[in-house]
Amino acid sequence: MNSLLEFQQVNRRFGRSKALKDASFRVPAGSITALLGPNGAGKSTALKIALNLLRPSSGTVRVLGTDSRKLGPAELARIGYVADGMELPEWMTVAQFLGWCRPLYPKWDVDLERALCKQFALPADRKLRQLSRGQKMKAALASVLSYRPELLVLDEPFSGLDPLVRDEFIAGLLELAGSEGFSVVLSSHDIEEVDRLADHVVMLNNGEVIIDESTEDLLARHRRVEVVLPEHFGDLPALPATWIGAESSGRVLRFADIAHEPASFNEQAARIFPGCPPPDVQRYSLRELFVTLVRAGKADAGV
Amino acid sequence: MLPFRFHLLDGLPVSDQLVKAVQRAVLTGEMASGERFPSVRVIAQELKISPTTAHKAVLELRDAGFLATRPGAGMVVVKPAGSSREQLLSQLAPACRDLIRQASLLGLSQAETLEALRRTYSEQP
Repeated sequence: MNSLLEFQQVNRRFGRSKALKDASFRVPAGSITALLGPNGAGKSTALKIALNLLRPSSGTVRVLGTDSRKLGPAELARIGYVADGMELPEWMTVAQFLGWCRPLYPKWDVDLERALCKQFALPADRKLRQLSRGQKMKAALASVLSYRPELLVLDEPFSGLDPLVRDEFIAGLLELAGSEGFSVVLSSHDIEEVDRLADHVVMLNNGEVIIDESTEDLLARHRRVEVVLPEHFGDLPALPATWIGAESSGRVLRFADIAHEPASFNEQAARIFPGCPPPDVQRYSLRELFVTLVRAGKADAGV
Repeated sequence: MLPFRFHLLDGLPVSDQLVKAVQRAVLTGEMASGERFPSVRVIAQELKISPTTAHKAVLELRDAGFLATRPGAGMVVVKPAGSSREQLLSQLAPACRDLIRQASLLGLSQAETLEALRRTYSEQP
């Protein structure tokens, strides 16, 4: 599948600290990709590099087919960027702000602008400085959706938004989603926010990409397994390399199967845990999976 | 609002849940044959899910004969030919699998599981 955004072994250093380490991942065309990771994982750095607001220390980023370091006005007019706490011309009214953006983009759609203002209930003659955080984010989103960008980049778009505003915001960006090739990449430290919205997931931890996969495949191959061991089981045998993060308490052993395949799992389980009742095998939610992978410290979990 | 009852649960693929919900609604008559089906964009917006996921469910429903393309009107609901009893029974399969799994965790046999089911039935008002 085509990718609108592709990171190839990107490193970024700030002084001695490394914000990104050999990061490779992609945003498939037409996808809503979630860039997930704890605070400080490198999400914002990655998005800033994608927009040429930062340069990579090494490696390449291709955005809409162009090297990120060579992005010019023509490419930037095809990309929308909204970041939590981004600077807006606070002294302008909503109407002035949108009027100020309009001439910058040849593809600006006045009808869409009007529809979004209505959908977001934006007060046209209020100054941006007088708006709530949620209203400001909606104004910023309206200002980028109105030129129908091919790639929408959202950096922590939901932080500090109440659930109602967040839903409006999502409905707004889905207004364009589904139109040909439109792709979204959004970063979040709170997986619950994007659980069902994202169809592609990139997980970062300490600047490293640990997952770059479709949400469906990712959830399909991982299982949480719990086994109740007999009373005097003795030492645990070696587990297959794809059973990670094993921990036990009392007689219960829990681990994550990161390459689940029912037939071979049952065969292995029967061999490794003879005489045990059948293991309890459950799918993960995205949130539980993320916590599990980060905790297991498996940098190579995606391999 | 969507014209069928739907409540997303955790831990199951969203598109599978959507397909099952629509199938149920069609089989039980909650949605009538010929009724217009919401667009992918509307489904995505209502459920806050990715359009790719909504699109996948719609294609699956079309391939299974529950939706058809009508020029100019998008997708319309179709009640598929064949035994609806069979299809209604297959709707229960995931819940049955779950019951069987729970029973095996408890070490209960098939007969005991059916006994539990019968008991619960008789307790229903």
